[in-house]
Amino acid sequence: MKWMQFLTPVQSKDYNETRKMISDHSPEDITILDVRQPSEYQASHIPGAVLIPLPQLSDRMSELDPGKPTLVY
Amino acid sequence: MLSGKGFTQVYNVSGGIKAWEGKTAVGPQTLGMDLFDGSKSPQDFLKVAYSLEQGLHRFYLDMADKARTRAVLELFEKLAAIEVKHQDAIFDAYARMADAAVSREQFDAMVETSAGEGGLTTDQYLELFDPDLSVETEVISLAMSIEAQALDLYQRVGARMKNADSAAIVHGIADEEKQHLERLGKLMDTL
Repeated sequence: MKWMQFLTPVQSKDYNETRKMISDHSPEDITILDVRQPSEYQASHIPGAVLIPLPQLSDRMSELDPGKPTLVY
Repeated sequence: MLSGKGFTQVYNVSGGIKAWEGKTAVGPQTLGMDLFDGSKSPQDFLKVAYSLEQGLHRFYLDMADKARTRAVLELFEKLAAIEVKHQDAIFDAYARMADAAVSREQFDAMVETSAGEGGLTTDQYLELFDPDLSVETEVISLAMSIEAQALDLYQRVGARMKNADSAAIVHGIADEEKQHLERLGKLMDTL
C-alpha cells in the first residue's frame, strides 16, 4: 500500500521555524492549534495554543480565522 | 483538514509537541496529491474508498506485527477489524448500486488493479510520525492522525461530488470515520 496519495498537502515547520514564526507575529495575528486530547493539552502545550481535539475539528473550524497563519500540532 | 477549507497558511509543526519538548521526532515534509476527481461515478468512488480502507487494514496489521506489547498488538488488531467492517459497508453500497450481481471476489479484483500507485510506503509513513510503538498513547495518536486523513479525504471529496447520490455515500463514510476518530479520542482519555 502506498500512502502519499492520501495525504493532504501541507508545509511543515521544524522547532526553530515554529519558534521564529511565533516570535515574529503578535499573538492575535497567528493561530497555534493543538489538536490533541484535552488531557495531553493539560499536561503540556505550546504557549498560546488553542485546543480543538482532532475529533471535533471538522465541526469547530468556524472558531478559527482562515486568514491567519495557523500552526498545527 | 484545514488546508481544504479556505485556510491558506497552514503549517504542520514537525515532530509535534515532542519536538517542542526537545525530544527527537522530526519527519520529512509531507506533500500529497488528491486521488479523487469530482467527475468520478459513485461506483468509481467506492472502489477508491475501498482501496483506502484496504490500505488502512493492512497498515494496522503491519503495525500489529511491529507491536512490542500485548495491549498494543490487540489494539491494532481491533483497529484492523474495524476497517474490514468499513470495507463490508462499502462493498454493500457498491453491490446495491451495481447493474449486475457482483461477488466480493470480483469486486476485490476490480479494486486491486486501481490501487497502490506512487507515494509513501508504510515504513516511510512510520518514519514520518516516528511513534514509540511500546507506548499506547503514541499508537493511538498515530491511528488518529491516519483516521483524520481519511476523514479529511472523504470530506474534501464529498464537497466536490457533483452527483447527490455519490455525495450522500461519501458523507456517510465520512461520518463513520468521524465517529471512529471520536472513539479513539475517548480511548486515549482512558489511558
